[in-house]
Amino acid sequence: MSLSRSPSPRPGGGWSSPGLTAGGGGGGSSSGTSTPRSPNGPGGLSWAAAKAKSDEVRSYPSFATRNNGFFSRQKRKISASLPRFRITPTTTYNDYHEKNKRKHQQGRYGHEPWRQENQRGPMRFLRSITRLKRTRFLLGLIVVWIGYLLLWTFFVETYRRSALGGGRKFVIVLASNVEGGVMEWKGAREWAVERNSIRNKKKYAQRWGYELEIVNMLARKKYSHEWRESWEKVDVLRETMRKYPDAEWFWWLDLDTWIMEYSYSLQDHIFDHLETKSYRDINVYNPLNITHPRTDFYLDALARSSTADHDPRSIEILLSQDCGGFNLGSFFIRRSIWTDRLLDAWWDPVMYEQKHMEWEHKEQDSLEYLYASQPWIRSRLAFAPQRLLNSFPPGACGDGFDPAVHYQEKNRDFLVNMAGCQFGRDCWGEMYQYRELSNWLNRTRWERFKEGLWAIYLTLTGQPSLPRPRQPPPIRHEEIQEIK
Amino acid sequence: MQFAVPPRKSYHTPPYARSSRVSLQRRKQLKVVAIAGLGLLALFFLISRIFSSSSSDLDDVSIATSGVVIVTVLDHALYSENYLHKIIQNREDYARRHGYTNFIANVSDYESALDGAPRSWAMVPALRHAMASHSHSKYFFHLGPHALIMNPSISLESHVLDSKRIESLMMKDVSVVPPDSIIKTFSHLKSNDVDVIFTQDKQDISPDSFIIKQGEFARFFLDVWFDPLYRKYNFAKAEIHALDHIVQWHPTILARLALVPQRILNAYSRDSPQVAVDGAYTEGDFVIQLSGCASDAMQSCEKEIEPYYATWTKKFRNEQSLLS
Repeated sequence: MSLSRSPSPRPGGGWSSPGLTAGGGGGGSSSGTSTPRSPNGPGGLSWAAAKAKSDEVRSYPSFATRNNGFFSRQKRKISASLPRFRITPTTTYNDYHEKNKRKHQQGRYGHEPWRQENQRGPMRFLRSITRLKRTRFLLGLIVVWIGYLLLWTFFVETYRRSALGGGRKFVIVLASNVEGGVMEWKGAREWAVERNSIRNKKKYAQRWGYELEIVNMLARKKYSHEWRESWEKVDVLRETMRKYPDAEWFWWLDLDTWIMEYSYSLQDHIFDHLETKSYRDINVYNPLNITHPRTDFYLDALARSSTADHDPRSIEILLSQDCGGFNLGSFFIRRSIWTDRLLDAWWDPVMYEQKHMEWEHKEQDSLEYLYASQPWIRSRLAFAPQRLLNSFPPGACGDGFDPAVHYQEKNRDFLVNMAGCQFGRDCWGEMYQYRELSNWLNRTRWERFKEGLWAIYLTLTGQPSLPRPRQPPPIRHEEIQEIK
Repeated sequence: MQFAVPPRKSYHTPPYARSSRVSLQRRKQLKVVAIAGLGLLALFFLISRIFSSSSSDLDDVSIATSGVVIVTVLDHALYSENYLHKIIQNREDYARRHGYTNFIANVSDYESALDGAPRSWAMVPALRHAMASHSHSKYFFHLGPHALIMNPSISLESHVLDSKRIESLMMKDVSVVPPDSIIKTFSHLKSNDVDVIFTQDKQDISPDSFIIKQGEFARFFLDVWFDPLYRKYNFAKAEIHALDHIVQWHPTILARLALVPQRILNAYSRDSPQVAVDGAYTEGDFVIQLSGCASDAMQSCEKEIEPYYATWTKKFRNEQSLLS
């Protein structure tokens, strides 16, 4: 509140009535808002008269006319400018009690009609508004609406993040800073990919109350020394599991992935329907031609069953296959003793010594090998159709639009994995295009409305309509290497 | 008394009488409903208990099935029937005394699964096979083909499997592979963490005599052990070195493994080169293991077993005569 001048005593007028400010406690000179009345103030009242009036006024606690503050000083102007919907006091004051009060006041101040307008006008106006049920209801609605706008998402997200909401059961493990620029210089595009990808996962995790663990996949001597380069996945998962003891499912995501649909929750999209959305029998889609089920006579029924125990609760790892076999760019793994064992068995020096030249895709090939050779893996591993959690852009696994592999806009696929984009394709370019496409597909109603208006305007003025974001077209370079 | 105005009827006259009648009826109805509901709940609970207990746990052993299966893998191609007969006789006698089951397998059955690996590997799929065919048995005692149970009165339960007993036998914080592997058994291991019980000889963990508990761990452990890449790797001692390897490199295996002193399950003859300190057979030990006899000339096992078999038959006959 600004004051044009400090309160000062006036000759003949004195200080503003202490009686007017004392009641407030917070008033007085400290707030610097009390204004002395001019001795020749409105109606030509003397200070004594004003004091008497104020004493009178103080006897009505609901009628607060502390003569301080900007509003008080401007009150007259405001009230004068208000519409006068009341001609005579009796027409609005139907209430018996109020009438009595009026009478009483009129008896004393009847000769001063301005007072009723000036002092009581705005308050009465407000009161008369709030007294009306409908208006009250409307006001309430507005308050609720504003509260909804401001706080609803906050409450929902807090709930989802809480133990009740179940969001903490999921941890997104995002591999960032791959190699940390050790092998290749990290340019502006690499940084852009990293920044955007992280923001994408942050937004998704925030919305559904999931945990997001961004792991630093910096190339470390530890791994290169043991020929374990880019085998950190296992160690990272183990560390993350230790870090989030309450979480159940851990979702590994490569950096070159984009969550297209923020509105899909993992529970609703996958885990509440695990039985129907996943398959156990690799023969459903078997690009590696792994013999399944095992037929060895010495194995038990579970190990020889093509669909394990049919129980979705026994699934400990959920991954998708692409045209080249298992794909670990986006997969789920569940905390359990079984998982500990898998993570432990995943890397073994004797196996690695024999296979490291052959296992081009490291832990991915290793898992394929374990799946093929060790029956205990099969009983707890399930596959998801690729597009459920790992759609490919054209350029990976063929240039066309294979409905089993490639992102389908009309189905609103959940996630795009720009697998192998670093081999002859443009990671940032693809990510940018998918980001724009996702934003466009998920634009709000208001944006759609604006867009519609704009389109109408464009057609009226005969200009070409706006281009819409599209999925990146297949690139046909010679150097494209198909990478799983 | 008269009033000017008749007394006004109260607005909220509580219709006591009527309401009490209703509530009485209600109460009865409620009682019936509550009792029926409780009864139903109890029924569901019982049914669910019965079904869950019948369908799930492998660990629950029914009375008809024995808790222990003795697994012996014999090689009919290398040893005479006479020799193998002695071994079988020894096992059958022991199983009969304690109500155990014998699972006697033949190496040639597993040859296709071995895929060209040494024949000694056959014990691993044989164990898996034993577990598949005795899915309700809890413990599987693998005893190599060159071992005799010399003290058949000892039951496995009291000798090793009892939780207090195994707690006292477990060797904690010792090198997994003798003499000086830097990997040591966990010092915080509890008896209920143990799924497999091994012994060591002078140089290795010995797979010739060990006990494994059926379950998730056993499947995992046997499958990892039997991995084709280990079989192909030319470990000098084939499955023995593969075992040493996986126990040292995979802590999830070590976390379920207990080592007990050699003589508890696997005493070697005094002149065996592999015998550990205090691992040599003395009178009264549970098992004599003729370690290394298989790698010698073909006859050595059959020859070596003679004195032990003689002792055992004498004791066995004595007891037989006592019983009859």
